[in-house]
Amino acid sequence: MTLASQPVSNIWADMPILSAKGISKKFETAEGPLIAVNNVSFDVAPGQFLSVIGPSGCGKSTLFNIIGGLTEAYDGTVTVAGETVRGPHPSIGMIFQEESTFPWRTVLDNVCFPLEISNTPKAQRVEKARHFISLVGLSGFEKRYPAELSGGMRQRVAMARTLASEPKILLMDEPFAALDEQTRLLLGDKVLQIQQQLQQTTLLITHNIAEAVQLSDRILVMSYRPGKVKRVVDIKLPRPRTSEIVTSAEFGMCVAQVWNDLREEATRGMQEAERLR
Amino acid sequence: MNAHTATHPHNRAVTLLRLILLASLLAAWEILAQSGWLYRDVVPSLLSIGCALASLLSSPDYYFHLSVTVLEIAGALAIGGTIGVLTGLVLGANPFAGRAIEPYIYYLGPTPKIIFFPIMIMWFGVGPGSKIAMGAVSCFFPIALSVAAGMRQIDPVLIRVGRSFRAQAWQMAWKIYLPAMRHPILNGVRLGLGIAIIGTLLAETKLSNRGIGHLIMRAYSVFDMPKMYALLIILFALAIGANAIVGRIGGLDTIRRS
Amino acid sequence: MNAAAAMMLRSVPAAVGLALFLGLAGVAEILLRFGVLNRFVVPPPSDIAASFGRLFAEEHLLTRFLATSQECLYAMVLLAIIGVAAGTALQQMPLLRRACETWIASLASAPIVLMYPLFLVIFGRSNATIIVMGVIAGLPPVILKTVEGLSGTRKVLLDVGRSFSLTRRQMFLKIMLPAALPTIFVGLRLGLIFSLINIVGVEFLINFGGLGQLINDLAERYDLPGMYATIVFVILVSVLFFLATERLERWVGRA
Repeated sequence: MTLASQPVSNIWADMPILSAKGISKKFETAEGPLIAVNNVSFDVAPGQFLSVIGPSGCGKSTLFNIIGGLTEAYDGTVTVAGETVRGPHPSIGMIFQEESTFPWRTVLDNVCFPLEISNTPKAQRVEKARHFISLVGLSGFEKRYPAELSGGMRQRVAMARTLASEPKILLMDEPFAALDEQTRLLLGDKVLQIQQQLQQTTLLITHNIAEAVQLSDRILVMSYRPGKVKRVVDIKLPRPRTSEIVTSAEFGMCVAQVWNDLREEATRGMQEAERLR
Repeated sequence: MNAHTATHPHNRAVTLLRLILLASLLAAWEILAQSGWLYRDVVPSLLSIGCALASLLSSPDYYFHLSVTVLEIAGALAIGGTIGVLTGLVLGANPFAGRAIEPYIYYLGPTPKIIFFPIMIMWFGVGPGSKIAMGAVSCFFPIALSVAAGMRQIDPVLIRVGRSFRAQAWQMAWKIYLPAMRHPILNGVRLGLGIAIIGTLLAETKLSNRGIGHLIMRAYSVFDMPKMYALLIILFALAIGANAIVGRIGGLDTIRRS
Repeated sequence: MNAAAAMMLRSVPAAVGLALFLGLAGVAEILLRFGVLNRFVVPPPSDIAASFGRLFAEEHLLTRFLATSQECLYAMVLLAIIGVAAGTALQQMPLLRRACETWIASLASAPIVLMYPLFLVIFGRSNATIIVMGVIAGLPPVILKTVEGLSGTRKVLLDVGRSFSLTRRQMFLKIMLPAALPTIFVGLRLGLIFSLINIVGVEFLINFGGLGQLINDLAERYDLPGMYATIVFVILVSVLFFLATERLERWVGRA
């Protein structure tokens, strides 16, 4: 089959929208240099949901900051649709692990923030913000302040805020880390629904196996110090998915498969942490 | 006091106790005033204080002096506050400058400022200039320190959010740094205002021919005790009121927006 | 070696700060020597430094300092007795506390020192005026911190006391007071700093007593280097006092 005879959409499907090549990052510490990330490469296709999973200390957050353009000095290249990333890229929207809503802004004003930054006209801003607020299921809370919401709701506000900037790629760093297990599952549903609805390319960084399996098309398992890609696991669970999938046998098998790869790394991380204590 | 305690049954008892305390204080005062045990009208009768207060509040002269003092304090807060906020921003943003210069501000803060008044007179004259300078010098310290501390306490993730949305420098300053620091800035202004009032008025009592401080000293020099009490009452009411207003602006924020 | 290097690195900003300060003094000196600035408004730093000997010999700076210290000492004793007693009383009587605590807090933000002409009438130009002003200015933080410390005693410690069936008096002396001591000390230190500021200030304002009066005297005699030097002396003393009590507070807090 020649290239010309392929449908146009398929060319795009095969072209990675986000690509990382040979990413390495070294930190200088009191005990000498520490290699946080070592030669990590991966591609994300449009519409794909990719998770990066690894034990604490495998350089996940470092990777997040590099791809998001918040870290300057590193080796390797990150490209978005072929364009090299230098600094925060307009096509990448970040959702942070920490509580990141602005406590002085209402839900609506929080979600309007990126639209203000991009100088969107006011009427359009509010309309768009309302749309994304309803998408994350917070309609009716527009005038509330974050302090009046639960942790899960605040994280959804942060999600709506990032979605409002309409990024081509959604980059999430353990967005549910601070939440309890049930909220986490339900929010996972929300993410799945939104991702399937928007065909949103997503890169999720996490240490939670169930979460990664529930959401992903593909999982990169990272090794403990230095952080390298240890294995790539494709999750062939059917779509569309909901959180009900966590009770299925296939889900259990996928989790077991990932845990097999991860256990060794997690053990190493734990021993290292105990040795340092 | 929030809505919960307002409905508390104890609350009525507290109000009652407050009224009893106030009444007995006033009664004791009046008895002392009528007894004549203290010399020279040191404790004048409540009636005479009330009369002095009324005549003061109805005299245009008093409002002239009040306006002089208020303008001096406003000027002091504007100058000392602006310099304080700018200094605080520089010290907070630049860790090196913070460690090099901040100790001086930190340790000079709790020193008596009024002793600089002779220097201020030489630099800015005997008029309002030296009073404004006294107030400005006084309020500079708490404002600079709380702004510097506030800048360091900004949650770093909020700054990362701004950068991830590619906010311009002015957008970062206006939409992230400033609102994130509103509590420490307001608190600094509250502290600074209290100290500026003290600095300005003390300078007026030492050497001046106008302002509330001058009126107090004039009342003192003719032993017009009722008038002095009236002036002090007004002064305390204004100072506590101003403090409460600035505190309320900050405090309301605390409840509504964490 | 690593630790030494870290120490060096940490002292760099302090050194730069000191250099900046000395540099400013040097620039002022040069500008004054060349007559760019008026030396009848700002005396050259070298003159200020040189006048210290004269201040000690002729103006009895040390005696003045001791006079101020004595006032501070009296104020401190009164502050501790009255403040801790009042705080204890408030803590023991919850209703009274709820009635008065906000009053005391707002008094702390009132310009109390401006009451000095009042005490001038009562006590005249005397040590009493100065000491009373010092005590009144320092009282609110001592009272508030005593209340806070006593009511902040951990519940489990109170339960321990109850399990040994201590009397109310024993409970107070053996459990609440020791537990509250660090907090009370924080209040005392704060109060003492307010006292010191007000004592020197009132000395200056009413032209009586120790260091404050000396500044006033020298200003009236237009002895500029002497006046600047005395101001520098007062600042040094205040800073040393602040530093020393800060150390003490940390030590009490740890014990």
